[in-house]
Amino acid sequence: MISRSLDDHLPSSSSAPHPIQRNLAPHLHPFSKPREYTRALTAAKMDRMFAKPFVDALGGHQDGVYCLAKDPRRVAVVAGGGGDGEVIVHSISLRRPLLKIPDAHRGMVGGLTWTAEARDGRRGLLSAGKLDGTIKLWRSEAFTPGMRDKAAFEGNEFGVGASESGQEILDTAGALGEGEDYDEEEGGGLAIDSGKRDRLGRDLEPTMTYNSKTGFNAIDHHRTDATFATASNSVQIWDEQRTAPVSTLVFGGSSETVTSVRFNQSETSVLASVGGDRTMCLYDVRTGKAERRVMMQFRANCLSWCPTLPTVLLLGSEDHNLYTFDIRNLETPSQIYKGHVGGVMGCDWSPTGEEFVSGSYDRTVRLWKRDAGKSRDVYHTKRMQRVFDVTYTPTADFVLTASDDGNVRIWKSNASAKLGPVSGKERSAIEYRQALIEKWGAAGDVRSVHDRRHVPGSIHNAVKLKRDMVEAAKVKEERRRKHSRAGREKPKAERKKVMIAEQK
Amino acid sequence: MDALLASAGPLNPGKKRRMKPSARSTAPAHKNTQYGDEKIDPSLYSILDNTRTPSAFGTNNLASGSAEPALQANKIVARIGDKKLRARVARTDVSNKRAQKERAEVNEWLNAPMAGGLGGIEVDEDQGERTWRVGQEEIVKEVGVASGSKRFDLKFEDMGSYKVDYTRNGRHIAIASSKGHVATFDWQAGRLHSEIQLRESVRAIKFLQSESFYAVAQKKYVFVYDQNGVELHKLKQHMDPTHLEYLPYHYLLTSVGHAGWLKYHDVSTGVMLTQIPTHLGSPSTMAQNSHSGIIHLGHSNGTMTLWSPNQTSAHVKLLAHRGPVVAIASDPSESSAGRYTATAGLDGQIKIWDGRMWGKELRSFSMRNNPISLSYSGRGMLAVGGKSGVSVFRDETTTPYLTLPLPSLSADSIKFCPFDDILAVGHARGISSLLVPGSGEANFDSAEADVFESHTRRREREVRGVLEKIRPELITMDTEYLGKVREEQPQSYAEKEARSYRQKGRMERLREGGVDPEGDLAGRESSEDDDEGGKGGDEPEKKKKKKMRGKGKSMARYLEKKKKNVVDNTTIALRQKVASQARAEEEKRKIANGEIVKESGALARFG
Repeated sequence: MISRSLDDHLPSSSSAPHPIQRNLAPHLHPFSKPREYTRALTAAKMDRMFAKPFVDALGGHQDGVYCLAKDPRRVAVVAGGGGDGEVIVHSISLRRPLLKIPDAHRGMVGGLTWTAEARDGRRGLLSAGKLDGTIKLWRSEAFTPGMRDKAAFEGNEFGVGASESGQEILDTAGALGEGEDYDEEEGGGLAIDSGKRDRLGRDLEPTMTYNSKTGFNAIDHHRTDATFATASNSVQIWDEQRTAPVSTLVFGGSSETVTSVRFNQSETSVLASVGGDRTMCLYDVRTGKAERRVMMQFRANCLSWCPTLPTVLLLGSEDHNLYTFDIRNLETPSQIYKGHVGGVMGCDWSPTGEEFVSGSYDRTVRLWKRDAGKSRDVYHTKRMQRVFDVTYTPTADFVLTASDDGNVRIWKSNASAKLGPVSGKERSAIEYRQALIEKWGAAGDVRSVHDRRHVPGSIHNAVKLKRDMVEAAKVKEERRRKHSRAGREKPKAERKKVMIAEQK
Repeated sequence: MDALLASAGPLNPGKKRRMKPSARSTAPAHKNTQYGDEKIDPSLYSILDNTRTPSAFGTNNLASGSAEPALQANKIVARIGDKKLRARVARTDVSNKRAQKERAEVNEWLNAPMAGGLGGIEVDEDQGERTWRVGQEEIVKEVGVASGSKRFDLKFEDMGSYKVDYTRNGRHIAIASSKGHVATFDWQAGRLHSEIQLRESVRAIKFLQSESFYAVAQKKYVFVYDQNGVELHKLKQHMDPTHLEYLPYHYLLTSVGHAGWLKYHDVSTGVMLTQIPTHLGSPSTMAQNSHSGIIHLGHSNGTMTLWSPNQTSAHVKLLAHRGPVVAIASDPSESSAGRYTATAGLDGQIKIWDGRMWGKELRSFSMRNNPISLSYSGRGMLAVGGKSGVSVFRDETTTPYLTLPLPSLSADSIKFCPFDDILAVGHARGISSLLVPGSGEANFDSAEADVFESHTRRREREVRGVLEKIRPELITMDTEYLGKVREEQPQSYAEKEARSYRQKGRMERLREGGVDPEGDLAGRESSEDDDEGGKGGDEPEKKKKKKMRGKGKSMARYLEKKKKNVVDNTTIALRQKVASQARAEEEKRKIANGEIVKESGALARFG
């Protein structure tokens, strides 16, 4: 006979928890599958309910923002270059400009990048003009707010000399709270007096100026050394201390426009460029040569090296797709990422190398997983115009976009993530929900809730139109093949279609 | 550049490398990185995440020393064409299997088997002792005071016959007499919740998700009462109800009445979900399968029908008995998990059915005392209530495990108490709570049904229950249906033709190309030689299908047949010609081989 002792099954005191007895035998848990499915559906719905990815827009630009440069070693500092030659250094945590340089260049800013000094206070900003053919190196203590050395600051000594006394430079601009101590600080403090800041920016003189006959489309700094690369009609390598380029890298005799150039983050002397002649080219600084080149059907607008997998290179192409290449095998891309309905203008890897973000001319931003050809999420707002550059923040929490409408926007990289402290219980609940979605994400309603994204009508229509066109073209090709002699027209793999030739 | 390539490690060896070895590649490929004292070869680490340790190094084979093979994904996964998807599905499958195994192992320790096997009555069969001879008084004497006190009778004279129902944790009981006496109480603590006299006929009573609500099928309608006996709802849509069931995970109250309409009512929203006409008149009994949520109805013409709210016709309709079906019960125990169903007919037969194959009953036996009620216990004992008593059957034997006599009474309603060794019997003189040792599931799970549920835990469970309310569409005959990969949809000829080759699925393409994808991918030999000559000896020749497509096919076949048998001069000549050709060929071959020496002299002409 079953006889249960109350001592075992009732709480020992009024405050003690109720004793739990478990029996994991499946027959005592009927409907376990439907119940879990229901939980997964609820989890998917909650995920969509909490999906509020837009955090803030950083204004201040008079014209569209066409290039972005995150400081790779600081969490919350990003520089944006405008169409009118204005460069603004934003603090993401303070959500306001740290420094505005109104006439950094005549005409558009072609590219921005941060120098590689290990100390925050010493780091400078390199800006390249698209039309005026100059590169300028800017150094200012305004880049590191919270710096205590007032004397150096007020003396307007923004050059090298200022940093020598920078023993107390705080490492992270964003991590610092808005304290009372800094309120009286002029210009460089956390409570920035905008008038003083503007005056500071107007009066700021570049530490170095490098001149060239041609304008620059892009600039990227070496990860550790004091060298940087620019893209004009060739790729040029510069030393920070010299006003003339150290070397010029050209594949063959080509003098086509180079759109973008990026250094590899692991094998730091390797760099890649994409150009207007529909090519992607790899160079090595040590040999001073262009190593190899691939030609594709459409030109790529942007590129980015994977920070964790040294051989993986991401290209954002004019044909609306993104491609990853393993540079050991350049015959075909290793994955095609489809989803945009406009040319991809900017792309950037997350610091883990598992995901990346892309911004497109179709006014949307998409987030991708490295090994899935469909985007994980798509962001858009009514006011965001053509996106020209995107970047992940170094913490991988946020994504920044630069668009035509003159704003730098901050988005969460995980749309439904909670900002702010999360308790252990909450975190485990969130993780359980994610696991449920992952498990049931391919089934029925969970899938439709989880995958569905509302996009603006124009994009929706463009997607439909594009799908129809692609489908029609493929059906036509199929019919043509059916009615031609057997074996004459063979189907070509999608990944091979985009490639024209590899040159060595 | 080369250093980068080298540090990234080798590419997948399956791929062809077209790169020519250059002069520079003979130089040392890359530096070793210094980490503290040891040197680390970066290329070693670059391939680590793409490599896999052999399964022989798996945890299963190390510490325990057992030769248990490592868990492997289902073979059918190999059919999936997409590499990444296949890997994902295989991973999920293995982790499911591992979880199942671990769960079983944990459960073994959590719920250690009770001393004395299943905890039933044990007698010496050789001495002529029989368990069914043991009476309730003997059991009460033998068991402890706490258990003995669970044997009790509630006597109500002239109240009509009683129906009983337990809550899911077995803590509370509801009784209803046919003349309108309704009461609910916590039978373990002996605390009465409500007692009402309805003064009209009551045909069924059912607890809803907890003891705080119960539904009563009264003369005209179904009414819902709360714990204190206050009438909350009059469900007017349920006309003239005779039987009630409640699906706790779906929050569905199901009733069926004299008119034979099966009605599903969502009690969480108060919306009538569906009303299904059974077209079989007033059903004589109703039961639910607690594992699938399927409602079983027994009808007076001897059929049993299975219903879900998703279909207006019965899922299964089978002729179970000659004469009316009087009682149905489904087995919730571990060995069955809702698979087995018992039916009792007015013909005195008890039949056990397997839900996977309804064609024939598993076994049947007859009772002499006109069975009228059935109930399965948590450990799979079947109680059969009839005139003047209840018999309890254990295992598959037809001799009862226990007989519980009720002299001059018939057991109108019997119910095993969940998680206890109690059988409640409702009869014309009240209810009796009888002891059936070894019938109940001893180890409850407090996350599902807590016998000692506190107020706060009940509140928590109720809220969570509503959040996890299963949609009625998910009630299926096959409980494993959800999450399965869908079979290919059958399509009409026109639909198939309308799509171009590239719009077809992979399987269809393969099939079109003459490959049997199922056979190929399952690793079996493909039947490539379709021509006549290539028939293997073992395989039986495939029968040619006689497709009746087009006009006059039979006539054509007839003519074809006839043609073969016609022997005319041209055929004979042709055959001879072919034969002579073959002979000449053969001779030529033999001469070439030297088997025949052709004479070439003058005598050759004499052959």
